[in-house]
Amino acid sequence: MKGKFISIVVAAIFCVALAGSAVAEEINAYMGTSPDNNAKIAQFIKDKTGITVNQTFQSFGEIEARVKAEAPNFNADMIIGCGSSTGFMAKKNGWTVPYVSPAWKGAPEVFVDPQGNWYNIGNFSFVLVGNKDRLAKAGLTMPKSWKDLLEAKWKGEIVMPSPLSSGTANMMRFSFLALYGDEEGWKFLQGLDKNVHHYTRSGNAPTDLVGRGEFILGITSDENIKKRIDDGYPLVWSIPVEGTGYDGTFALILKGTKKLDACKKIVDLLGTPEFSMVMADIGYVTPRPAENKLYGKTLPNYIKLDLGKAADDKSKNNDIWKAKLRSEFE
Amino acid sequence: MARAEYSLKLQAGSGSRIKDFLNANLINILAALLFLLLAFFLLYPIIAVLIKSIRGPSGFTLEYYRAFFTKNYYYRSLFNTLLLGTINTVVCLVIGFCLAYMTTRGPYLLRKPLKVISLVPLIAPPYLFALSLIILFGRNGLVTRMFDLHWQLYGFAGVVISQTLAFIPLAYMMLENTLMSLNPNLEESAYDMGASEATILRTITIPLMAPGLLKAALLIFVMTIAEFGNAAILAGRTPFLAPDTYTMITGESDFNMGSVLSVVLIAPCIIIFFVHNYLLEGKKFTTIGGKPVASEPRKITPIIKIPLIIVTTMATGAIFICFAVVLAASFYKILGVTDKFILANYLDFTSNQAIANSIRVSFVAAVIGAVIGVLLAYVIVRGKFFGRTFIEMASLSGFALPGTVLGIGYLLAFSAPPLKLTGGIMILALNCVFRFLAVGVEAGISKLHQIHIEIEEASADLGASFLTTFYKIVLPIMFPAFIAGFIYTFMTAIVSLSAVVFLVSPGFQLAAVKIFDAAVYGEIGIASATTIKLILIVMLCMAVLNYITKKTRLGSGLKQPVA
Repeated sequence: MKGKFISIVVAAIFCVALAGSAVAEEINAYMGTSPDNNAKIAQFIKDKTGITVNQTFQSFGEIEARVKAEAPNFNADMIIGCGSSTGFMAKKNGWTVPYVSPAWKGAPEVFVDPQGNWYNIGNFSFVLVGNKDRLAKAGLTMPKSWKDLLEAKWKGEIVMPSPLSSGTANMMRFSFLALYGDEEGWKFLQGLDKNVHHYTRSGNAPTDLVGRGEFILGITSDENIKKRIDDGYPLVWSIPVEGTGYDGTFALILKGTKKLDACKKIVDLLGTPEFSMVMADIGYVTPRPAENKLYGKTLPNYIKLDLGKAADDKSKNNDIWKAKLRSEFE
Repeated sequence: MARAEYSLKLQAGSGSRIKDFLNANLINILAALLFLLLAFFLLYPIIAVLIKSIRGPSGFTLEYYRAFFTKNYYYRSLFNTLLLGTINTVVCLVIGFCLAYMTTRGPYLLRKPLKVISLVPLIAPPYLFALSLIILFGRNGLVTRMFDLHWQLYGFAGVVISQTLAFIPLAYMMLENTLMSLNPNLEESAYDMGASEATILRTITIPLMAPGLLKAALLIFVMTIAEFGNAAILAGRTPFLAPDTYTMITGESDFNMGSVLSVVLIAPCIIIFFVHNYLLEGKKFTTIGGKPVASEPRKITPIIKIPLIIVTTMATGAIFICFAVVLAASFYKILGVTDKFILANYLDFTSNQAIANSIRVSFVAAVIGAVIGVLLAYVIVRGKFFGRTFIEMASLSGFALPGTVLGIGYLLAFSAPPLKLTGGIMILALNCVFRFLAVGVEAGISKLHQIHIEIEEASADLGASFLTTFYKIVLPIMFPAFIAGFIYTFMTAIVSLSAVVFLVSPGFQLAAVKIFDAAVYGEIGIASATTIKLILIVMLCMAVLNYITKKTRLGSGLKQPVA
């Protein structure tokens, strides 16, 4: 009797639990923008195409690691939002399904691969953020040049992400190396390291920590700044005179997908001016002209970059970074 | 089970030789099957990690170990990790003991509230304490600002404090169970004969608790050094092995070095596991799932009572405050910055799906885990085959395996065909089953030690088949062990992050991972609201489970077997 009762209960719970998986057109995607922006993008896709995008939030670095580990049997159909290095790597290794989308015709070359291996849905940059209240209290003003960050008065008051786990931090690193050249660039990073309190896991984390006033300055992704300020964080942001770097937010179709038609539909949608508006509204610089929420109509001053080289140098630079910046690493 | 019995009867009709063979050998067949499961889902992933740590792109090499042992950074990381584990274990045990003593021997008035406060965080993900600590005691935290304090939360101290708070519930749960299953008669007779409370504690209670204390120490040590959420948020520049391993795998995708770090993380755990087994040699098992007995409150002398009250008040106070912060944070846009009351965090739909997934995974894991655990226990105690000790050690080793190791092991072992399991619910459930198997097995072993084999032999002599005996006699006796395994697996699986974080796939987010991501991203409101929802739902599940167990036990008129 008892056994029967339990098995009925167990079976009932199982049925309820498994009934949740209904059938509809849906794809799995690795998405590397922030959790709420991922949701916004997925919702937009759902509204316009009816396709449900299942996603987990991961940082750019994590997506790259995931893709490398899984290749060539991917657990997702697409990536919507990964760093350029992942996009180039996927193209080189043949991990993508090339598709030359008519909807992307005429987009500038930074935004679309001629062979259709990847599509850049928006460039993002890094900026300097400061906590208004803490700056005022300490009688300090926002630095005008990146070099000003090396001054001793900022010791222990700067946070930035770690390039080992964050794509945004990798962008900061290759931008500074491009700006100052390899030798001067590493000297700058080492000097900066003396003032940096610690390196965070995620590229957006400094925005929050500075917003809370835990630290006065942060070097952080420009992605969510506007939203955080609207939320009520006492933040100021600026781009020092030397300018900022940029990296793409790539989308691509992963080899082995069984839902190619759905993926193509999504790629087409990503190339439309309407989607560019969505991305610009979050704060990205987009393939189709749209007014940027953070920068407005005038775009920031960019450091000259070679994203292909940056992708090739990434692993080498990780080793140098550890050797030079991790105390007692040698 | 009923169907298997039925088909067996059919076979028996065709020839009693098959029946005899099965009766004689079923236990061995069962053992072989269980061994295969253990080998495949527990040993193989660990071996995969070991191999990855010595195998580079161009054949076998010790290069990765050389890299580990020649860099100071890793030494410091290892040292910090071990120190963290040791401090945490000691502090958690002391506090856990005080709490457990108060709730089992102290005044009735305090028992319930202390118990509730100590147990609630068990369902909350451990790293939640890191968030509360930042909001309260960060460099710009509420308390820090109020009293204009200057202290350094980011670093070793912060991690120790948050990890301690996070693991007090586990220590408490284990020690309370141990204390409850001690027969209070001994202590009471000693008290009646005039022994002081201190003497009773020193000469009766603590020595009797020793096995339980050791077990709790082992579990807490292993869990603290493997759980990386708090360290990832609060460590600042202080290196710890678990978060480093995580970054190594997910950030740099350096599986070789990640495996080396994992192997180094296993080593101390295995050593402690063997020391613990050696110390317990010949002692009776005392575990979760023992027979609970309530003690009458006694007069506790002030010398003992005052420290007890101080420790318990401080500990429960700290837990309570941290929890109050979480609760408050769930209702505000950004607690401590813009204090505007909102409900939006609770209406976030994505987290509901993650919670549903977590419950599904934990439930499936708990059912499978409890069944396998009970069967393993039976095979270990009653079996007489070669390799019995090996099976016992293997199934109990789950106690000593840091979650990160099994996470990486599963990723390495099961992500390519023909063994491709990644990307679904089963890999998450199986991972939890084999990580948390040990508790069910041990509870089962201790139950089986309570009944003499004569009962089973009598049943067999009277003509019952092996399966009938198992179904009618063994299963009812082992039911509490089944429940213990179920509950432990369910509760730990639902909050544990260290292994599943490597295995979640798109479309199948788990609550623990979701909360961690939201927390790291600064979405403290959503992280808190998801936690509160998770706690409420888990409490509901436990209440239902409790109800069912009580009903079914009463319904069949089952009595606890006499030891």
